[in-house]
Amino acid sequence: MNNNRKFLYGHELVVQACLDAEAEVMYGYPITPTCEILSGWIATGKPSLQTEDEIAAGFAVCGAVLAGQKAFTASGGPGHILLQDGMSMAEGMRLPFVIIVGQRGGPSSGTVIYSQQEVMLACFGGNGEGLRLVYSPATSRELYELTRQAFNDAWQYRFPAIVLTDGYLLKMRSGINLAEIKIENVPAHQLVPEDKIVHWPNIYTMEEELNEQINLAQKDWDEISPPIAKAEILETADAEILLIAHGIVGAAVKEAVKQLRKSGIKAGYFRPITLRPFPKKDLDNLFMKDNLKKIIVIESSSGQLARIVREQLAPEIAVGFEYLQKPGLGIEVEEIIDFIKNN
Amino acid sequence: MILKILLAGDGGQGIQSISDLLAQASFANGFFISQIPNYGLEQRGGVSLSFLIISDEEIAYPRFSEPNVLLIMSEQADARTKKFKNADLPTGRQDLKLDINDFVEVFKENNILKQSYNIFFLGLITKFLADKNILKTEQIFELLEKKLSKKTNWEENKKAFELSLKINK
Repeated sequence: MNNNRKFLYGHELVVQACLDAEAEVMYGYPITPTCEILSGWIATGKPSLQTEDEIAAGFAVCGAVLAGQKAFTASGGPGHILLQDGMSMAEGMRLPFVIIVGQRGGPSSGTVIYSQQEVMLACFGGNGEGLRLVYSPATSRELYELTRQAFNDAWQYRFPAIVLTDGYLLKMRSGINLAEIKIENVPAHQLVPEDKIVHWPNIYTMEEELNEQINLAQKDWDEISPPIAKAEILETADAEILLIAHGIVGAAVKEAVKQLRKSGIKAGYFRPITLRPFPKKDLDNLFMKDNLKKIIVIESSSGQLARIVREQLAPEIAVGFEYLQKPGLGIEVEEIIDFIKNN
Repeated sequence: MILKILLAGDGGQGIQSISDLLAQASFANGFFISQIPNYGLEQRGGVSLSFLIISDEEIAYPRFSEPNVLLIMSEQADARTKKFKNADLPTGRQDLKLDINDFVEVFKENNILKQSYNIFFLGLITKFLADKNILKTEQIFELLEKKLSKKTNWEENKKAFELSLKINK
């Protein structure tokens, strides 16, 4: 059963995905749990710069992509906060900014390995409208695939792309066969032609000008959202309760649903793979019939995913909500099963 | 078959190192493995845990609260693992429970260096896994040799490993 599986850490998969995506340069400042992405990238011999802080790393990525280079950064926790400055510029200027975020516990330095508390920061952390692509992988394989996807979507649609993961996935070692994953690359291109003078501001004199730019960006966002938004959906046809989770908690929920089904409980599974854009249609469609009575949102935060789910679900859908929330803590399969059985 | 192994000690005691060797050998034998560390900001002095799962099926989630194998190498580690169900039950509920306090005499009698305690416990867990045909003792010894034979205290580490194989536990 081993075949061509390699035994790799999550951070090794991220570095490999960046290489395979033909990324050219990384700018970053080390912070757990993403240090090994920086050190791993440096070890490949590709160009890199450890900047004086994350603010500099963010603007370095903006500069490099303006020059047509596939650049990226990685961070988490307080570093992710500082990077919001550059990410906001990227959102405003429509730059293909790619970042891998390893969520750690918060607020502040919190803990160093795991939580799901950077959802709001990733989705809506800038001083803008939150027009950034946010992917939340559940498995090592998906961590690799979505990192590739982030580069492709960033360069195709020109929105910042965030792979929102955590230290469990980044520090976890597992077997994977990369040879079976085939993804075509969207090439980088020069955003500013060398022979032309382009006025491309991130600041506007007139409020109307800014408003016009925001509306244009929103229009593009609304157009690209349906093809990009993705969810993993299982066992919903006759389900009475719908379990919603994202990221690695999703992996635990998926297994819990399998086991709940075995004991005759009609549980269904919905996992947004993209948090922004949210797979809203996929969720709404589950309520075409009236089998679903209750949604249970399960997450390692006090309700950041739940806020998004409640906001995105069509207002005419009447369904009860319950929550299993363990801010900063991992959530195990058995706990989920116990929670469902006792509710 | 699914085996959940929780190794707990202080940062610097070599918890992650022995977990790595067990993971590598089991992976090489075709098993599905997931391995995640858990530690705080401090490199040394804080609690260091390793969650290791060895299975013949795909693994759904890397964390667990009911280990089949539990190693406790320090007082802090003991306190931290209390919350894991069954952790305070006597051996029996757990397939293998190793507590450093039970080996104080053995270490003294055999002059085992503090720095080699982890290797001693690696040996005991290796024996347990070898009995279940998950890996071979020689496999772990080879990996150990590759990792440590050029470093200081190799003879002491080797002694600790060999002693563990002779101990009836």
